[in-house]
Amino acid sequence: MITLPKSKAFALVAAISILTGCAANRYEAPVSSFRDKTQQTINVLSTFYSSRNSYEVALYLQTVAADSSLRVETTDASGNPTPLGKPVFSPASIKARLDALTVVGVYANRLYDLANTTAPSKFQSATTALGSNLSSLDKSFQKLQGESDPTANKYVGPISSLVGTIGEMFLERKRDELITKAVTDGAPQVEIILSQVRDDMDKIFSLEIITGSNERLATLISAYNNSDRAKLTYEQRMARLNEIEAAFNEVTASIGSAPSGLVASMMEAHKALVQEATSPQKAKMNNLAALNGALQQWTTQIETLSTQIKPLLH
Amino acid sequence: MIKVDTTTLSNIINQCFAFSSDGRLSPSQQATMLADGKRLRGLLMNLLSAQFNDGTQAVLDANNQLTKVNATLANSATALANTVQTLNEITSLVGNLDKLLNVVAGVV
Repeated sequence: MITLPKSKAFALVAAISILTGCAANRYEAPVSSFRDKTQQTINVLSTFYSSRNSYEVALYLQTVAADSSLRVETTDASGNPTPLGKPVFSPASIKARLDALTVVGVYANRLYDLANTTAPSKFQSATTALGSNLSSLDKSFQKLQGESDPTANKYVGPISSLVGTIGEMFLERKRDELITKAVTDGAPQVEIILSQVRDDMDKIFSLEIITGSNERLATLISAYNNSDRAKLTYEQRMARLNEIEAAFNEVTASIGSAPSGLVASMMEAHKALVQEATSPQKAKMNNLAALNGALQQWTTQIETLSTQIKPLLH
Repeated sequence: MIKVDTTTLSNIINQCFAFSSDGRLSPSQQATMLADGKRLRGLLMNLLSAQFNDGTQAVLDANNQLTKVNATLANSATALANTVQTLNEITSLVGNLDKLLNVVAGVV
């Protein structure tokens, strides 16, 4: 039997531990961070999406408040519904976007599980509960596909595909292979979903909030200018001018396209994750550094952009 | 399928709101700018996700008109020198965009 001096044996054990530890947990920190930031981003974006109709109602009511001749109506004199009479954005299209983000969140959660578990068998036991959740999500999208809202349709394909990929994650055993496979298979669908979310932000919601915040500012200025200012006390004038200042800050926030920027940061981090997971062994260290950099950038962006988005919620 | 140029429409709306507090316009002209901006934004909310069949002449005409009105408003000196004409152009735009809602083929 070969024996080693205690110091050499300790060094050998330590080296083996570090090597196997590195191999086993290479993904742990970045994937955990990716999961956390994904959840934070989804929370911010979900709140933004969910508040679009209440934002429009608040804007409408402010117009009424600024002009004492106006009545609150659900349908205007031309027969068009006001935001109180009909949601400006259909609940189905908002739900489609929220569900798409939910599936991306599940994808990040499964990657986290893969990167952190020490007992692959746990995946099998968790399959039933998670599988049924994913299955119901998938079904809700299949149902949406047949409904009247075509906005949801473009999300159906990538979501169905992504749900399939997430399901497959439970069938494999090797962590690295699993993560590489999960990222390789899921990434294209995640990219499509995030691209569509970003495009929605740029082409629909960005225009909504920029014009909406300008309308709010113009309405408040007009109300102030047309009021009998001489009868207002200094405090009353300041209160109204403070409202105008807040509206001006909202205009500034809306120009920054914060929601779109947040999605773009998420896409950059995901792209770095894909590169790390799919790169040859030799390039992994460099790509891991790039991934950590992208995650750090995303962290900073979440903090900054969340603050910018707050004035756009009502 | 084609769409209305909603980016240009948004620019016009923002310019209307900016003119509504421009001291070089009379109070009644400012009020008209504010009312037109609000009317156009109401139309924008309907047109953001609206799609039209390829070659729909009303959409092509509306997009040309949007470009023209946007150019007029972007040159504030011209817009202010011909305020009545500018306001008439915006009123005409409101009417044409309103008609478009009747020929929407679908939503994105």
